[in-house]
Amino acid sequence: MTIFNRVTAAVLAAALGLAIQAAAAQDKKPIRFGLCFDLSKSYTFVSPQVAQAAQDLAKYTNDNGGIAGYPVEMIVRDHGNEPQRGVECYEQLRREGVFLFYFLSTPVTNALLPRAMKDGNIVLQSFVGRGDAVDGKVFDWIFPVGPTYWQQAANDVAFIKKQMGGDLRKAKIGFIYLDYPFGQEPIEILKTLSEKEGFELKLYPVPLPGSDQASVWTQVRRDKPDYMISWILAGGHVVASKEMKRNGFPIDRYLSVNWLNEVDIKNIGAEAAKGILRGTNVAGGQEVPLVKTMLETFYAKGKGSGPESLVRDVYYNLGLAVFSVGFEAARLAIEKNGSPLTPESMKVGFESIKDFDANGLMAPVTVTLEDHGGGGKTRVERWDGSTWVPLTDWSADYTDVVWKVIKESSSKFTVK
Amino acid sequence: MFYRLSGIHHTNYVSDTRLYKIPADRNLALFLLALGLAAPFLVGSLYLNSYMLPWLVWTAAALGLNLVTGWAGQLHLGYAAVMAVGAYSAVHAAKYGLPWEFALLIGGISAAVIGSLFAFAALRVKGLYLALTTLAMQFVMDWVLTHSPAISGGSHASLQAPTFALLGQRITSDTGLYYVAFGWCLLVTIFMLNLRRTGLGRALVAVREKDYAAAILGVNSFYYKIVAFATSSFIAGVSGAILVATFFFLAAPEQFSVAVSIQVLAMVIVGGLGSIIGTYFGVALILLVPGVVNGLVAEGAGALGLQLNVESLAHIPNAVYGALIIIILMIEPLGLGKLYGNIRDYLRVWPFDQFKK
Repeated sequence: MTIFNRVTAAVLAAALGLAIQAAAAQDKKPIRFGLCFDLSKSYTFVSPQVAQAAQDLAKYTNDNGGIAGYPVEMIVRDHGNEPQRGVECYEQLRREGVFLFYFLSTPVTNALLPRAMKDGNIVLQSFVGRGDAVDGKVFDWIFPVGPTYWQQAANDVAFIKKQMGGDLRKAKIGFIYLDYPFGQEPIEILKTLSEKEGFELKLYPVPLPGSDQASVWTQVRRDKPDYMISWILAGGHVVASKEMKRNGFPIDRYLSVNWLNEVDIKNIGAEAAKGILRGTNVAGGQEVPLVKTMLETFYAKGKGSGPESLVRDVYYNLGLAVFSVGFEAARLAIEKNGSPLTPESMKVGFESIKDFDANGLMAPVTVTLEDHGGGGKTRVERWDGSTWVPLTDWSADYTDVVWKVIKESSSKFTVK
Repeated sequence: MFYRLSGIHHTNYVSDTRLYKIPADRNLALFLLALGLAAPFLVGSLYLNSYMLPWLVWTAAALGLNLVTGWAGQLHLGYAAVMAVGAYSAVHAAKYGLPWEFALLIGGISAAVIGSLFAFAALRVKGLYLALTTLAMQFVMDWVLTHSPAISGGSHASLQAPTFALLGQRITSDTGLYYVAFGWCLLVTIFMLNLRRTGLGRALVAVREKDYAAAILGVNSFYYKIVAFATSSFIAGVSGAILVATFFFLAAPEQFSVAVSIQVLAMVIVGGLGSIIGTYFGVALILLVPGVVNGLVAEGAGALGLQLNVESLAHIPNAVYGALIIIILMIEPLGLGKLYGNIRDYLRVWPFDQFKK
């Protein structure tokens, strides 16, 4: 059994090496991320998964020597989606020396934008806050790595174009959205694209919180659009699925924004949801290498940072993606400018990220001085009854149209 | 003992209409004023900037609501909407290039105009119906803000405010911004303190107690209700503008949503209707306690070595906070102001309280 012995020895040695590295990592001052989340009010559908992913990733990184020898620390606080408490959380952590923040709430992120920009602290702003913050020239300290809603909508149109044989001139695309800024955001892009590609655009506003959709779906039945692009959240998808059934609209023509997860699928019914589409920049499912690693390293032994059910959720993957990018930026920052990490070096670190996809977890991103979004690539995934199956490759389309809107919007941001 | 008083004896009308009839009360107010002025040198910038400042601005706002709800007795569920009117008009005026002094005034006046215009329609009904009508105003305002990019500042609905300046002096330091908030809160407090001994204040109280009876006494209740709405809207508008200018630095619809309206009303009710010191307490409880309890629970769990998951850590403070409100209202339904009053009345005659009976 020499082979077995050798393997054991190798594993032991590796473990010992890790232990030493881990011990070394303990000596250095940790890299701290301030996670001021809404864990009690509106964003509870996503924040626990993201927080858990962040903690798991930090634990895993620390067990493997940290980032260039520095341990990572996640400070999670609740702000209940109230801007006032978000400010409190930010100001407190800022004074404790934290300069990397993630707020995961649009109202709070917006409220903190001027402060963070003035103080020169890094804000990870993926999936929340204003979309034009990808304009690195204006928003120097803000890093919304991932697609903007504008880019997502444009990519959705490109997907539909491909599905319809490359010609949209006879197509009719419906856009169902929550009637407040989150849902209204893509309208402008869709209108521009409808002029450019010649498809007919139908708008279906739904009042908050999205539980009353009966009237718009009867309208949909009359209009018979080829595809429905959907900018609604959480429970809204469940209501939509019922209305689709009632009005005879095929669910496999329903293309959701990235906010559609396993909980919604379960509420629709895993079988009934078969075929539902979702545009995303983060791969779903548990077959993704990094998610698999987490399941094997922690959850198989019952040592995860929370319940395993939260891992089997696309928002967990989303959390891993956000912080993988953050960790990669920190690694690059230390590699380029040495330690200790500062907001300035972290900014450089972010802006040196090139073709990073966290080992197949997400669309490859390349962050530059101008583009803090990383390219905005997404793909469309289909729910096959048990997991997410990608239908297309990662891609970003109509980027010129999207950037025109971004520039126009960001130019209005600065005031004296 | 503390109050050194053997009773209140007025020998002339001037003494009877004094702001503070008991010297100890006046001394306490002066002490608090000095404390407020010295705060930047006494507390750290974190407490100054993220606790004291919003507390004072919200107190000014809540005092405005107390005027209409506590004094004139009209339930108002759309107060945040009026604050939004003030905030947005002031920021737009400042962006247009007007100095902030005028911008604040414009914010206040436009809020007063819209608030009282609305009151004209709303005041045809009373009580719960009025409350519901004011709630409608809130929803109208929410809708307007989310559907007019020209007002709310583009498709992301966030409007960056220009740097605050008074008398040509740009104010950016924590201390400077604090004094702005302090000054505004002080102004509103002085106004409210004096309201009690003016004809307007007495008319409002008469309207609150019974508007028919007030009408018989020659008080035009409709007129005074409108005046109450207009005045409180003015305070709301300026407070909203100051909140944006000194604390958020940008205006967004969520800062003035229906939840905020309910919150301000809660501040006034928990603090005590018609009580000024109570409003200070109420705002502190509703605004600051959630964050403070949150910190305490997080630290307590850390100190005890409890491995709570992040969600429980977030929900325990909410439960504590809710329980706190219930307990306070059970101990004293008239609010924190009355609670303070009870303690004061007890101490006033202590240790000779047996003589009171």
